[in-house]
Amino acid sequence: MSVPLSQMWAVASYVLRQKLAGRERYPLVLMLEPLFRCNLACAGCGKIQYPAQILRKHLTVEQCLAAVDECGAPVVSIPGGEPLMYPHIGPLVKALVARRKYVYLCTNAILLKEKLEAGLFEPSKYFSLSIHLDGLQEAHDEAVCRDGVYVDAVEGIKAALSRGFRVTTNSTLFDGANALRMREFFDTMMDLGVEGMMISPGYSYSKAPDQEHFLRTQRAHDLFSTLLSNPKRRWKFNQSPLFLQFLMGKRDFECTPWGNPTYNVFGWQRPCYLLQEGYAATFRELMETTRWENYGRRSGNEKCRDCMVHCGYEPSAVHHTFASWRGFRDTVQATVTGRY
Amino acid sequence: MLLDEVIDKAFDYRGNVTVVKTDGSETVGYLFNRNRDAAAPFVQMFDLDGAGPISIPYSDIRTIRFTGRDAAAGNSYAAWLRAKEAKAAQHPEKGSDPTPSRGA
Ligand code: SF4
Ligand code: SF4
Repeated sequence: MSVPLSQMWAVASYVLRQKLAGRERYPLVLMLEPLFRCNLACAGCGKIQYPAQILRKHLTVEQCLAAVDECGAPVVSIPGGEPLMYPHIGPLVKALVARRKYVYLCTNAILLKEKLEAGLFEPSKYFSLSIHLDGLQEAHDEAVCRDGVYVDAVEGIKAALSRGFRVTTNSTLFDGANALRMREFFDTMMDLGVEGMMISPGYSYSKAPDQEHFLRTQRAHDLFSTLLSNPKRRWKFNQSPLFLQFLMGKRDFECTPWGNPTYNVFGWQRPCYLLQEGYAATFRELMETTRWENYGRRSGNEKCRDCMVHCGYEPSAVHHTFASWRGFRDTVQATVTGRY
Repeated sequence: MLLDEVIDKAFDYRGNVTVVKTDGSETVGYLFNRNRDAAAPFVQMFDLDGAGPISIPYSDIRTIRFTGRDAAAGNSYAAWLRAKEAKAAQHPEKGSDPTPSRGA
């Protein structure tokens, strides 16, 4: 179990309040992208390919806080671009912590040590640094297309832990990833002392025959089964155990894209963090006017057919936990035993 | 091509475009949104200085020219896969480890 009890309780009580209020769709994690600029150019990254005037833009702290208040989710994830390049990241995190939001700052960590030494952040139970690492040195440096980034990230992790910060990792796994090397990666991260790890398959989209879609899903299940079967007791995952079972093919969920709504310089992104089908001016407009029935694997939408990513399916797993005693029991069981 | 299709292509394009309006004037910038379902369908843009959003109703648009460089060109998942496969063919012992779209 790696998510602190206070955070679990905050999320659980929030979900129960939504259920008591009879809300069918509610946000769990706001994906707040204050800028698209980044100091890396990872292959296949869908977030940084914009003309110069868009890459120069960023949200104001007031815009960020207005989005957080409007959305109301108990957890705020700050990806990007690279959030440590956002000029107001220190004041933004401080303001979010003051609002008692659980904040995950998702960074490639190239600038982390420098920013920590400059005293940009203060440790808090509400604030986690979520370090993007796609594997051990060779795999990660190759994935981000630059040598030395893994070493910088590990230095950043050590610097953050020594200052008392909560530190997690987030890893995107690709078709063809080496599961055994990833298990070594889990050991290495635990040796470093990170609080927990988050894993998700990458998103891919192609127009392919049914059989190819089926095989792709099967390959993903095989990968995650090899990765997570007989998990070591010391491995801690900072995510729903039911989502991990979903990745292994032991459970089926439908996507709930409204669970992780995305706000950036363009507005509220429809329908999810990955697809850009348009933007709404307000959170309410996003929730009320997005044609949600057109998304998710069962919708038949080609773009959703191979998708198993955390931003669509982890909120579904959390929803399932609180939808029945059985869901709750299964979650507690997997959390306590550490078996998926 | 129908205007709706041109607008959809401009919306998917990761570069600046020039929107030519029915009155002959032009707006140059990044077209980041289009809403076909609104009572009066519209597009939204940021101009070359990043100012905006500028809203333009579909009914005011004559055509759109793709005048800026496509920032996504050569950066797609398919391009990455091709490069990886070519590399794997040169160094078979390293295997293939394709990278789909990611966020952060
Ligand atoms: S299935 Fe994936 S791509 Fe489709 S809406 Fe859900 S998260 Fe987005
Ligand atoms: S670090 Fe994240 S935002 Fe930056 S290029 Fe890589 S995947 Fe994209």
